[in-house]
Amino acid sequence: MDEVALITSVLYQFGTNAAFLLLAALGLIVILGMMNIINLAHGELMMLGAYVATMAFQQGAPFWLAVVLSFIVVGLFGALLERLIVRRFYGRELGALVVTWGISLILAQGTLLLLGPFMPAIPIPGGSFALGPYSFSAYWIALIVISVLVIVALWWLYNRTEIGLQARATMQNAAMARALGVDTGRIYMLTFSLGAGLAGMSGALMAPTTSIQPFMGQQFVAPAFITVVVGGATNVIAGALGSSLLLSLVKTPVGFWLGAFLGTVALLLAALVIIRLMPDGISAALQRRLDRSAGRS
Amino acid sequence: MGFFRLITGEEDIGRGPFFWGVFLLLVATFFAIPAFLTEFEAYNISFYLLNIPMALGLCLLWGYCGVLSFGQVAYFGIAGYVYGIIAGNMVGHPFGPLIGSLGGLAAAALIAGIFGYFVFYARVQNWIVPILTLVLTLLLETFLGQTAGYQWRVGAVQLGGYNGMTGIPSFQLGPMVFFGFSFFYYVLILVLICYLACRMLVNARFGKVLLAIREDPLRTEMLGYDIRFRQWLTFVLAAVLAGISGLLYVQWGNYITPTQVGLLQAALPVIWVAVGGREKLFAVLVATYALNWLNYTLASQGNQYALVIIGALLVIVMVFFPRGIIVTVADWLRQRRRQAA
Repeated sequence: MDEVALITSVLYQFGTNAAFLLLAALGLIVILGMMNIINLAHGELMMLGAYVATMAFQQGAPFWLAVVLSFIVVGLFGALLERLIVRRFYGRELGALVVTWGISLILAQGTLLLLGPFMPAIPIPGGSFALGPYSFSAYWIALIVISVLVIVALWWLYNRTEIGLQARATMQNAAMARALGVDTGRIYMLTFSLGAGLAGMSGALMAPTTSIQPFMGQQFVAPAFITVVVGGATNVIAGALGSSLLLSLVKTPVGFWLGAFLGTVALLLAALVIIRLMPDGISAALQRRLDRSAGRS
Repeated sequence: MGFFRLITGEEDIGRGPFFWGVFLLLVATFFAIPAFLTEFEAYNISFYLLNIPMALGLCLLWGYCGVLSFGQVAYFGIAGYVYGIIAGNMVGHPFGPLIGSLGGLAAAALIAGIFGYFVFYARVQNWIVPILTLVLTLLLETFLGQTAGYQWRVGAVQLGGYNGMTGIPSFQLGPMVFFGFSFFYYVLILVLICYLACRMLVNARFGKVLLAIREDPLRTEMLGYDIRFRQWLTFVLAAVLAGISGLLYVQWGNYITPTQVGLLQAALPVIWVAVGGREKLFAVLVATYALNWLNYTLASQGNQYALVIIGALLVIVMVFFPRGIIVTVADWLRQRRRQAA
């Protein structure tokens, strides 16, 4: 019985770490994979999502509705950002990095000035249950399930819809897609908006587990960006999934025995070693293997 | 003659007698400052000057080599803290601060060397370096922030957590302690040396290869240059330059806190370089001085909009003056002079 409890507990830790990394990185990796743009305002978009959810929750909305609202509101905000600023930086990676960093500074400090340093927290929905000496939070288990569902939904969007087909065409060869009548500008706007919306939704989902304040985005910067660097941009879904699982494998034991800070340090070291071995990330390595086995059969 | 050609080479703003006349006049004015300003004002000017080496390093790295780093303040902080530890343990020794300075620079170079090995020898894509350097900076801040308490003590020096390290010794060479006007001259001469050395570097053969790497890494490699080694070397050099700024900072204020390696501080060098114009050293030098003055003036009035202003400045410059304000103005001036002639 105790062994079962221990194994369940380790699996639970592993799953929550992977879900955290996946949710933190998803919006970022969608934008990077499609547009080759690193959105450094990602953490601040998550912060906005958390704020929207908290405000909706305080107005009496049920929590699920608050999460959906953050997805929509932050998604629209992302579309606005893309039209006004980000659009000018396609093909200039480093310029995009710097400009989105400027946006993130404005968003964080602007929120502080407008809304003050603290927001009341959202209580964690669902209770917890115990198995042997370990206790598990129902909410974190729900988060693991939700992150799996989001991945499935993304897969469906990219592989089973017209928009997804156009998006993949734009990603492979934008000039050719344009020549075939795909409105690539619209695809870019939708993609950035989707990435921002996912960031907002993740922020809302994380809101009950953390304290809500204007600079909360910073805590997601390190894990989210490491996940993206390790995942690479060749295949969005494979990259996000592969790298969050692999990094969780590193973070879970280190964080368990040595504490959260060293867990994050281990993430950075693991990322350095992994990119030394796979410079274009896990997704490129996976893709190569897939291509090779497809060629052989 | 070779020296002369390197100094006036084409890879920076200003080559003619007009530029050098203005430049020498400026330098002379700075050297004369103690004659007409108080020691306190000279002390403030030292502060605007001391960030210039870090900015020049980022300019070399980003503008000339095409590698962006968000983590220059990490090396700034490492050099500052290591200096504090070494010099603080050698109080009374006439060459303690000198040994501390060398130790601080060596530590910055070592960390940058290890980090750079993984990044550049993996030939990662362009956007990965800024991300990983930013992560390194954030981790360093988190680490330093939790070093409060008595167990975080190296010899006689406490790391001090978020309260920072205090009582760091001033710079000293034998019996000569640098403070006030002498510190001002020390900073001024060091900054001048850094600028002229960078200028010579970019006009030398090494600098030309850096430009080639920025323009087309693959082609440069096909011509037989080891681009990984050159990018790595530039990265370490930029870290050392950031380390020099870190040393000057702790010798100026005699304290350092983890905020110095925080997110806001990390944004500043990028802004100085972007606003000036990343492809010209002299533009970065001027912008760094001007923006430090602006930032100090805003901050000393307790301005809570500082971050918003800085962020907005960054967005505006990147959207409307992608080559930098000072470079744009310099080009415009040159065109006007050419039309007038």
